[in-house]
Amino acid sequence: MAETTFKAKRKPGPIRFATLGAWGISLLFFLPVAWIISTAFKPKESIVVSPPVFFFKPTFNNITEALSFDNTLDYFIHSIVYSFGSVTIAILVSYLAAYSFSRYKPAGTDFLMFLLLSTRFVPAAAFVVPYFQLFNLLKLKDSYIGLIAFYTMFSIPFSVWILKGFLDGISQRYDETGLVYGASRWHIMFKVILPQVKPGLVASFVFNILFVWNEFLFNFQLGGAKTFGVPVGLFTGSTKGGAIDWAYVASIGTLYVLPLVVVIYAFQKYLLVGLTFGTVRGEV
Amino acid sequence: MYDIRLEGVTKKFGDFTAVDNINFTIPKSSVTVLLGPSGCGKTTLMRMIAGLESPTNGKIFFGEHEVTNVPTRRRNIGMVFQYPVIYRGTSVRKNLELPLLSEKLSKAEIDKRVDEVAEILDLKDVLKRFVEELDNGTRQKIAVAREVARQPRIILFDEPITNIDLTSKLELKRSMKELFGRLQQTIVYVTHDQTEAMTLADQIALMQDGVITQSDSPKEIYDKPNSQFAGWFLGNPGMNFVPPEFIKVSGTKITSPLFSQTIDLGSKAASADTFGVRAEGISVSGTEEKGAVQARVTRKALGAGGQYLLDLAVGSLLIKARVSHSVGRSVQNSVWTTIASENITFFDKSGTAL
Repeated sequence: MAETTFKAKRKPGPIRFATLGAWGISLLFFLPVAWIISTAFKPKESIVVSPPVFFFKPTFNNITEALSFDNTLDYFIHSIVYSFGSVTIAILVSYLAAYSFSRYKPAGTDFLMFLLLSTRFVPAAAFVVPYFQLFNLLKLKDSYIGLIAFYTMFSIPFSVWILKGFLDGISQRYDETGLVYGASRWHIMFKVILPQVKPGLVASFVFNILFVWNEFLFNFQLGGAKTFGVPVGLFTGSTKGGAIDWAYVASIGTLYVLPLVVVIYAFQKYLLVGLTFGTVRGEV
Repeated sequence: MYDIRLEGVTKKFGDFTAVDNINFTIPKSSVTVLLGPSGCGKTTLMRMIAGLESPTNGKIFFGEHEVTNVPTRRRNIGMVFQYPVIYRGTSVRKNLELPLLSEKLSKAEIDKRVDEVAEILDLKDVLKRFVEELDNGTRQKIAVAREVARQPRIILFDEPITNIDLTSKLELKRSMKELFGRLQQTIVYVTHDQTEAMTLADQIALMQDGVITQSDSPKEIYDKPNSQFAGWFLGNPGMNFVPPEFIKVSGTKITSPLFSQTIDLGSKAASADTFGVRAEGISVSGTEEKGAVQARVTRKALGAGGQYLLDLAVGSLLIKARVSHSVGRSVQNSVWTTIASENITFFDKSGTAL
């Protein structure tokens, strides 16, 4: 038998190569975001130059100019209304659905859950034309009701799946104890169980906001002047002068990521739980 | 307080009958234990009493009031589950107060009740602690205390100490025994653990395949099982059963190689098929006594708490005896056994006691 040799562990340097490499890759992925944000604050003349300028005197001119365009603020308002509106409704509806699936297990629960997710199997682009026709027919085009209904429908499947996982992890004995104490179903649902699935609510809220906030295609097809959101605004506004107005793109882009940064930062601690929960089950 | 009356209560899940036409009264202000192996329908029966399941057939009464269709929240009951239901992120005191707050009691009354149950269940030292910091046994105590503080007329316990580790189990069992002694409520307690039932019950209702096969005080049910099932299920080890080939019936008299005497069973003798005797109903001696039956010790005895469980063979028949002396602890060929006739229970072919 070969003799086992015990090799001393290599002493770690101040910064290991692997660590350095990881940082390098991470920064590489972050570059476009960094470019957008830095460009927003660059003086106009140093935006498209070669070699690129890394040090400059920051200015708010680009942003104020971009905001002074006719529709810019409207785009933001539209985006906020339909994103937060639809996702809030979707979460509420999904919670009710998930509660029912988890607690009452109606006949065909597994099949229904599968069916729910199957709406997401097909690439969204395949639905564009039928939806366009449908919205025209129902006169829902360019209306908040139409857009919110559409995005709500799009957000529900994923939320139901996440929330059902969370609810299955909460023992039904909590519901039953509530009943014994004389509580109504509504009280149990919203006062006893809901606080315990907060991470799930936050996780589905954030993932759906990310999706709806950045959605372009359907907003472009089903919306209109009264409901175009920022992605569409960015697309149409950036080519106003004939060529791409990079100052405009960067300014709006920077303002556009801000709300999401705030939301995600605020909910970070729930998000981690949201992503890992459901892997370990059992009566709690 | 109320007694609980069950009239023809049946529960079916599809083709499976979990509870089969039970007629039974659970007396008020006492502890009734529903005991039986898993799947015997005891938990389903309790859940029907709670209103968490509705019976397929039959009626349930609390005192004079029929509650069969009354929703759980109007039944004025308390319930403790197998896994402690506690509210995380709050203190023990808050956990105990929560249901009282919704009953709109005065602050003074709430404090009084909380302090009272904390005293009885020995929770005073942890009242300010957060429930996350406590072990499962203490959490279950909190769940029990919360029900008691609410002072419902009926409290249901669904295997409350099954999932608690051994040390906390004993302690919890002791607290429960003490608690039950003080409570005036009607208590129904479900378990599959016969020692728990023996310790806590005023009355045991033994269940098998959806029916209550026997109900009596723990001592009665242990000493006088009405079926082979009862004899086998209660006791550790269960009753020794002696198969028909070791019994000889002639007229009203019964003899057996295990008996030193002939037993006269009167008119019942004809249907005697087997008999049972508990391990402690067999006395074992190292010297030959008059009428004693010779037996072999086949294995080294297992000791527990000063008592020994002996594996004996009388001819080809294997039986177990429990003794508190040292005779027969090692393998040997001759010990002498006697069985007093009052320790013998005869059963007919269907397993029913005669």
